[in-house]
Amino acid sequence: MTINVDRPCGTFDRNYYQAMEIFRTHLRKFLMIAFIAVMYALAFIVDDYIISILIVFCAFSVGMTGLQIITGYAGQISLGHAAFMGVGMYTMAIFQEHLGFNFWMALPLAGLAPMIIGMLFGIPAVRIKGLYLAFASLAAHFVIVYTINNWRSVTNGTDGMYLHRPGKLLGIDFMVDKYYYILVLTVTIIMIYFAKNLIRTKLGRSFVAVRDNDIAAEVMGINIAATKVLAFGIGCFYAGIAGAIGGGYYEYVNVEWFTLTDSIWYLGFLVVGGLGSIFGGIAGAVVWKTLDELSTLVTPITEALLGGMAFYASAAFSLVIYSLIVIVMLVLEPRGINHRWQIIKRSYRLHPFPY
Amino acid sequence: MEDFLKSIMLGLASGGIYSLVAVSYVIIYKATRIFAFSQAGMLVIGSYTMWQCLIVWSLPIWLSILISLAIGAAVALIIERACMRPLIGQPILAPIVVTLGVMLFFRGIALLFWHGEVRGYGESFLPLGSWNIGFLNLPKIQVYGFIICMIVIAVLISFYKYTRTGLGMRVVHEDHLVAQNLGINVKRIFKYSWVFSCSVAVIGGMLLGNIQGVGVDLDYNGLIAIAAVLFGGLESFGGAVIAGLLIGIVQIFAIQYLGVLLPGEITMLVPFVFLLLILLIKPYGLFGLVRIERL
Repeated sequence: MTINVDRPCGTFDRNYYQAMEIFRTHLRKFLMIAFIAVMYALAFIVDDYIISILIVFCAFSVGMTGLQIITGYAGQISLGHAAFMGVGMYTMAIFQEHLGFNFWMALPLAGLAPMIIGMLFGIPAVRIKGLYLAFASLAAHFVIVYTINNWRSVTNGTDGMYLHRPGKLLGIDFMVDKYYYILVLTVTIIMIYFAKNLIRTKLGRSFVAVRDNDIAAEVMGINIAATKVLAFGIGCFYAGIAGAIGGGYYEYVNVEWFTLTDSIWYLGFLVVGGLGSIFGGIAGAVVWKTLDELSTLVTPITEALLGGMAFYASAAFSLVIYSLIVIVMLVLEPRGINHRWQIIKRSYRLHPFPY
Repeated sequence: MEDFLKSIMLGLASGGIYSLVAVSYVIIYKATRIFAFSQAGMLVIGSYTMWQCLIVWSLPIWLSILISLAIGAAVALIIERACMRPLIGQPILAPIVVTLGVMLFFRGIALLFWHGEVRGYGESFLPLGSWNIGFLNLPKIQVYGFIICMIVIAVLISFYKYTRTGLGMRVVHEDHLVAQNLGINVKRIFKYSWVFSCSVAVIGGMLLGNIQGVGVDLDYNGLIAIAAVLFGGLESFGGAVIAGLLIGIVQIFAIQYLGVLLPGEITMLVPFVFLLLILLIKPYGLFGLVRIERL
């Protein structure tokens, strides 16, 4: 028998307001505030290398949260998430380059453009039950990459485009990496907060209903097609924002950055992190990017060992190792890191007793 | 007219291989209801093992084919037993992500062992050169490839139709529980399906390697075949074959006649735009079953 140990012993809901609280206990609230404060404080403590990693973590956490909404909550598979991230980057670059928008005006557009494109691709697929969205988003990937590669007058083809960070605001110069990190972190926190709230609304609950049993959901009066396409659109919005803030760090974007392989890793590490919880998505993103960073660190060693073959070797090793991690993780622990974390919390709360 | 006929011949030749790969998806989908993206990776593995046997070890052709098929079957058994069997009963997402992971694993293995260089079989697999019939100029490898594809597909379809195991496979396709109750060993059927599918994919890989050159990018052909599978209706062999041929022809025609309007490389674009059109117009494909479900 399992009992509900989501919260410490003796915490009961005595009214609806308590039941709706995000942070049910003071300790949790305090820990979250402390965590956010530490993340902000890191900007002034660590060097630029760590900051570059933190920015990547933040950007991919936002992207992963989007995929969590599509896959973890609405139960649809997207195989084009990296491409939609790219659409976000390119929207930013195009609006800045050709129309002279600044960063702040282009940021929401960088979310809306992938959202609209994603919904257009999603509409044919969501009318039917099953995982047709995977095929539609696969098609979206190839169409997007083709368009970016060949619409040279707008996207500059394979040469890539330049993005610009925002100008000075209240005396803060975002060209300095640590201040840009603070901007990225703020955007990340806002986006994740919205996602956390979204899944508690009627719309979010209908996502979960469609995932769990779409026929039952339809019987309850949920418009399945609209819900699915909206989930996909919101996920793509997140991907676009992630791309925009990530691309802003490099101030450059190239079509070769978002491959089908990246989309598959997105999906794979989402499952490694854990489906159906915001924390799981972030954990997956952090694991993925940590591995990326490790494989970059290992490259000089493989180069020394293998000589000229290092390029193939490092590409091949990361493919082999990541896929093994995803496969082994899925086979042994299909519910991901998040489930492991819940088990740890649970055994801490129940400490002297096994259950 | 000349160009038109030539395009049709070329389209049929590449379409034959798309049909073959599409069939390898359908075999697994029919039995396990899982869309196994890993078959795209199997193409790469198949073509490279064939190259290893034929060119590096210079084995005779029949032995090379046998070794490649054996490796394909062994890989299939490993995937089925180690990756797919533990995931039976899990939400459909988990097995699909695993097959995607397996696809990239194969790509990584091919990069690791063969460094991703594009190789060729040369003269040793199928004869080069071409036949000239009237104004038509038929490359021999493509004609032989088409014939081999059709033979393999015919053998498979007759296997499903006339043997006891094939009958069992068709029952499993209808309903896993009913099949189990009727005394059919569903797990064994899964195993057979994976072995057949991977063998077919290995043959597809050899033929593709002969035409396009052996390389890691062969798995894009596997992705193109997805459009054929959807058009055919996910669970129908006949549909997959017809759709594969059609996709091949459409692709060649698009390159021939739309290539002027569209810049750049459109080989990958055409099948996927076609896929979107299928989803828009006929989402269940040509011969797909429209399952009616109830609560």
